[in-house]
Amino acid sequence: MLPLYLLTAAKNQPMLVELKSGETLNGHLINCDSWMNLTLRDVIQSSAGGDQFLLIPECYVRGNHIKYLRLPDEIMDQVKEANIQNMEQRNFNRHNQGRNNRGNFRGNKRYNNQGGRNQNQSRGQGNQGGQGGNGGYNRGGFNNATQ
Amino acid sequence: MSQAQIQQPHHQQQPNKNVDALSQGVEDLYLESYAFTTAAGIVGSVDRKVFVLLRDGRNLFGILRTFDQYANLVLQDTIERIYLPNNRYAEADRGVFLIRGENVVMLGELDIDKEDTAIEEMVQMPFNEADKEWEALNAERIKLETQRAKKLLKVSGLTSDFVKSDLY
Repeated sequence: MLPLYLLTAAKNQPMLVELKSGETLNGHLINCDSWMNLTLRDVIQSSAGGDQFLLIPECYVRGNHIKYLRLPDEIMDQVKEANIQNMEQRNFNRHNQGRNNRGNFRGNKRYNNQGGRNQNQSRGQGNQGGQGGNGGYNRGGFNNATQ
Repeated sequence: MSQAQIQQPHHQQQPNKNVDALSQGVEDLYLESYAFTTAAGIVGSVDRKVFVLLRDGRNLFGILRTFDQYANLVLQDTIERIYLPNNRYAEADRGVFLIRGENVVMLGELDIDKEDTAIEEMVQMPFNEADKEWEALNAERIKLETQRAKKLLKVSGLTSDFVKSDLY
């Protein structure tokens, strides 16, 4: 479990962010990315000296300005639990997927939300759109049709 | 290169009977005896108590839970400790830390049997007071260093590498 994974799992949790400048931001994490850029809500910003305070409804922090984050003590346990649940869900899904798509041995089925105009579902209806030129062969997740 | 060659020590020193205390176990310091030398070197310290020095001079003591290639660290049950002149120190509980790797100066594993021997001879004081005093010391140091830098530039045309945020 990498530090940034812990951070993504800490969404909606209260946290304290100290910037390199010494300013601190107290707020709830809305979102973060792999650069440690953050968006926080209901933030109390304290100046480096700790003598001025600002209440900010929402703010964005560029990751490279962060010195450290302080997270709630319970976070480690919560993340562990969430992780276990995720694994179970994934195992369950994989199990079911195997049952619903017999014959698709590669396991790389197209999902409905992947876009592209002629989706060939592996359920066996063949071409649905009528325009699909490469009937039934578009199995590997590529959209070969040039329109 | 064969495995045997890698493990062979660099130096062909004759074993000296009267080795002084300082050079005992010096072989362990040769880099080739370590499996990893970069960020992965701390893999052995995971789930152990470590000490982390930050660039702003803060000392953190906690259990290292995870890290990554940038040396971003997650510490649990962290204690922040301030050391002051005249054998004084102060501590505060800080909980879970996620430290951005850039700000780490050094990290070391603690020997939990010996970690308290140093502070046993010191006097603990309230953290708030210690923090104030420490801030004052830092402010003074920044003032001195900027003066020095100015003088250095004027007198000899040299620049100083002191940065305000580097207080370790």
